[in-house]
Amino acid sequence: MEELIQKLKVQIIEQLNLEDMEPDDIDETDPLFGNGLGLDSIDALELIVLLEKEYGIKIENPKDGQKIFYSIKSMAEFIKSHQK
Amino acid sequence: MKAYINGIGAVSPQNTLGKEHFLDDVTAVEERYLQILKPDYKTYIDPKVLRRMSKIVRMSIVAARTALDEAGIAKPDAIITGTGMGCQADTEKFLNAVLDNDEALLNPTAFIQSTHNTMGAQIALMQANNHYNLTFVNRGFSFESALLDGLMLLNEGEVLNLLLGGIDEITDESWLISTKNDMYKVEPLNNLNLLNDRQTGGLSGEGANFFVLSNQKGIDTYTRISGIETFYKPKNSGIIQEKISNFLKKHELDLKDIDLVILGYNGNPLLDTVYSEIENRLFIYQPTAYFKHLSGEYDTAVSFAVWLAAKIIKTGIVPEVVQKRKYTGRAPKNVLIFNHVRNIYHSLILLQQA
Repeated sequence: MEELIQKLKVQIIEQLNLEDMEPDDIDETDPLFGNGLGLDSIDALELIVLLEKEYGIKIENPKDGQKIFYSIKSMAEFIKSHQK
Repeated sequence: MKAYINGIGAVSPQNTLGKEHFLDDVTAVEERYLQILKPDYKTYIDPKVLRRMSKIVRMSIVAARTALDEAGIAKPDAIITGTGMGCQADTEKFLNAVLDNDEALLNPTAFIQSTHNTMGAQIALMQANNHYNLTFVNRGFSFESALLDGLMLLNEGEVLNLLLGGIDEITDESWLISTKNDMYKVEPLNNLNLLNDRQTGGLSGEGANFFVLSNQKGIDTYTRISGIETFYKPKNSGIIQEKISNFLKKHELDLKDIDLVILGYNGNPLLDTVYSEIENRLFIYQPTAYFKHLSGEYDTAVSFAVWLAAKIIKTGIVPEVVQKRKYTGRAPKNVLIFNHVRNIYHSLILLQQA
């Protein structure tokens, strides 16, 4: 799990071009949107693409997005439970 | 025609941002093309917003903000931009993703930012400005079309002031494609030795040059834009000379009234003859200047010439590095810019002391 969290941090920094940010700067329990990393709706689309491209996981119900993308940890848990 | 330049901002391959220097510290490079000197973007743009912007958007925002700050205007009545090629880096990124991912799983950011009006839109978004906003994409006439639109808006009283910009960026990919039809030079060269380089093509470059135009003269007004004219594919030099003579006549000027002629020499031995014929047959006695050894050639490079002319008229200085035929005489009051892109898109812009 820890390895997956680290990998996700690196991928998110790269995908969202979070300049000047290192994986250690992100707490895996911090919210990705709003007060935490401050991501927005375009970033949400980027994260959906990332999940499908890198992990082959498609989000069937858009309403689940809020829960899945709450934090790095929730994303990692979702990936782990959906990987074949 | 009342159109005063009350603020300017230029991001170019030279140190053109700010008032401290005026081409007294030019950058000489040995490169295949000229790239902008990167400003410290974070002092101009919130890092959270910055991360999603490609180079062309960043340099536009910096140049636009500089021009607006100089003019003391927070929200102009109109934002008009001209770009020949638009957001090339993001377009390439998006198209490469289309190929790499077999037309699936495309990232939204590069797609959203790849349209030509991204610069004008981003500037407006940052000001929450929902006034007139237009982008002209007319190849070698892109900046001229934007300027013409701006002049008409001012003269018809539709706006009191406006932000005008000419922008183009270069990428490795776009440069490589452009060299295929001999548009640009292939081998590295010293930009300050541009006119002696015998390679085919011009020296490619990039830049973002912004101006605040107003119908009122301000305390720090640079100059007045008195006229613009464009003409397409003139058949020979005689026709160009006639166009220039008629343009000057229209503005009640004679050849001898022009203090300085800025010509768009870009180092292409085949097409620079268009300029040398004008210089040697029409403007025989006028001092002349050139600028593309500093900016490089791009569809909206003429906007750099407008920046140069505005600075020359305001400071009364013609920097030695731009002088082609030595400048002697009074501080220039009437400056004419003659530029062409690929001998297809020709334009004349007249700037006069305000």
